[in-house]
Amino acid sequence: MTPIADYGLLGDTRTAALSSSDGSLDWMCVPRFDGEPVFGRLVGGSAAGSFRLGPAVPLPVADRRYREHTATLQTSWAAPDGRLTLTEGMVADVGGQLLPATLLVRRLSAEGAPARARVHFDPRLGERHRPPRVRRRGTDLVCEWGTLALSLTCEEGAALEVGRSTTLTVSPGRPVTFVVTIAHREPLVHVSPDAAWALLEADGSRWAAWAGRVDPDLPFRDAVIRSLLTLRLLTYSPSGAPVAAPTTSLPEQPGGLRNWDYRYAWPRDASIGVAAFLGAGLGDEARGFLWWLLHASRLQRPRLPVLLTLDGRLPPAERSLRGWPGYAASTPVRVGNGAADQHQLDGYGWVVDAAWVMVRAGHPLYSETWRAIRGFVDRVSERWSEPDAGIWEIRGDAVQHVHSKLMAWLAVDRGLRIAETHRLSDRRRRRWLAARDAIGVDVRAAGYSSALGSYTRSYGSPDLDAALLVLPLVGLEDPHSSRVRGTVDAIRERLSAGGPLLFRYPPGRDGLDGTEGAFLPCSFWLVRALACTGRRDEALRVFQDLLARASSLGLYAEEMDPTTGAHLGNFPQALTHAALVQAALALREPEA
Amino acid sequence: MDWAGWAVFGLVATSVLTAVMTTAQLAGLTRLDLPLVLGTILTEDPDRARLAGFVIHLGVGQVFALGYALVFALLHRATWWLGGLLGLLHVAVVLMVLLPVLPGLHPRMASHRAGPVSRAVLEPPGLLGLNYGVQTPVVALAAHLVYGAALGLLLQAR
Repeated sequence: MTPIADYGLLGDTRTAALSSSDGSLDWMCVPRFDGEPVFGRLVGGSAAGSFRLGPAVPLPVADRRYREHTATLQTSWAAPDGRLTLTEGMVADVGGQLLPATLLVRRLSAEGAPARARVHFDPRLGERHRPPRVRRRGTDLVCEWGTLALSLTCEEGAALEVGRSTTLTVSPGRPVTFVVTIAHREPLVHVSPDAAWALLEADGSRWAAWAGRVDPDLPFRDAVIRSLLTLRLLTYSPSGAPVAAPTTSLPEQPGGLRNWDYRYAWPRDASIGVAAFLGAGLGDEARGFLWWLLHASRLQRPRLPVLLTLDGRLPPAERSLRGWPGYAASTPVRVGNGAADQHQLDGYGWVVDAAWVMVRAGHPLYSETWRAIRGFVDRVSERWSEPDAGIWEIRGDAVQHVHSKLMAWLAVDRGLRIAETHRLSDRRRRRWLAARDAIGVDVRAAGYSSALGSYTRSYGSPDLDAALLVLPLVGLEDPHSSRVRGTVDAIRERLSAGGPLLFRYPPGRDGLDGTEGAFLPCSFWLVRALACTGRRDEALRVFQDLLARASSLGLYAEEMDPTTGAHLGNFPQALTHAALVQAALALREPEA
Repeated sequence: MDWAGWAVFGLVATSVLTAVMTTAQLAGLTRLDLPLVLGTILTEDPDRARLAGFVIHLGVGQVFALGYALVFALLHRATWWLGGLLGLLHVAVVLMVLLPVLPGLHPRMASHRAGPVSRAVLEPPGLLGLNYGVQTPVVALAAHLVYGAALGLLLQAR
């Protein structure tokens, strides 16, 4: 089984593909992130399709990296007398031109001596791995499933066949370019290999220019840029919706059942993305995130849904795909996400805080945006005392989560701060002030355990919760108080998974069988918490340790096996990358 | 041709149509906000856009009302149900032609090909406006039936 961290992300901000170090493209949904997979081998087994371009015989990887500050991935294999290189990417900017919405370009080139390569192109569609109707048009191999068409072309197109491996010789100075174009409910657009390659090169230059807008003074700038690029690649450009990850059902425990569909947008993650983009100097992206967030949630207001589809609908009901073997036999493979029906109080806090971050940075809210925010704060003021499912979306009975109360306090507090520069009636202000005071009193009294010297997971619980690492940043308590430092230290000690890794809560305490890995965003929140409580050197050490645990391409999943260091869960994970950026931002200022 | 009726009742019918759409939007049935969609052709400030969009919408409504008036004049007949039938045709054109092609002329609307350098702020409505909520076609249908019926009721066929 190919390790999760072995995969590189290719993307065009409408959909994404995962490519392994042996050149196998094992995951790609069309026409967008949450569509059906045409290459689904990652969780669907070999019957679910893949597209491999690599050496004809196994060769060691000599070098694998993204071209600097771009989304173009380059993998080189060492042959006895030379090297074979695969350069691949998707063209992101196809607007305003006669180009297909999805354009995947993969080029094989050789150095030193001619190299033998193998091509295996086997697209299958959806849950039942439907084979396509195949036709040949000139050098194009056209695969069709009703309204969806996919074409493959290359300089040596005539020899290619669907589902059958073909070998070819790549000579130095004569690269072979493979172009996949996809059309959904529209005609296919033919792009010649040379033209496609030129488009990919131009796209690389655009990404590099985009990365050039990132604040030049950021610490760990390369890692931050890779994270920002990943976040942007996971943002669906037609609506601005950020997907949590491009995959479904990569397991939190190999062989286990914690397999979820993350191809949707969580308002909470979007809000964290706002702060990450804004802090790095990418104001347009931050505004785009907030715009999506407020428009997508419009039909449900003042309720804030836990997650939404890319065009702001509620996600489909969760179900399991029959017969899908799962990654490392981790079943079920799920589509849809049952967490959509949950009541989560913390989401409001993240969203209102994102709006406050925008206001603080000098971007006043439009009256409509402020109206939406007021609605969210009103709802929190009315319902903060109810139990909820909490940030970790545990599918059991709702409880009084301390983190949720903390975020409810944050929502009201940030609402009041925004109100200092935006219109708010006196009656509403008084109501919000009363709610903020009441939440503060309640959470300080019921959420803190003197015996543990820490805030707890829920009222009266002996467990801790790593989400409480946001405590120093919220403002409910003085970041240098003993209660805050005690909470940070207690979480670090009692939820430690070794080194900088933390479990989000005591393993196994979520009502499901089996266990899970350490939760990476929490480790980056630890960096922020340490930096914000005056322990910058410690924070720096933790951060550097975490950077060393990235995949070889600088990507992170949601979780990590504390013993083996293997990445676990859907990949790459937007929340982890947003948390990385926020941690780096916290390290920029000795006292944030 | 009832020119005076067209001038007055075209505005009335468009205002009613806008009111139905806005009410549906406020009731959480659709995210389609016609004044916003039209107004952002001119400005990116949503508040100003709504005002500008309403004026544009009145103008567009007058153009469509002219078509209704011409049909009534040609048929020498104007009834609420005939207006309703024209409303059906009207909404079909709006949902299946005008909304899907809007990204092609709207400077602040993404297309499904939008990429990172797109400066768009509005998501594309998609076929039948379904990207703005599954009930959007129903709301649009109701609004246009009201529009057509109002014109059929108020315009005289001469």
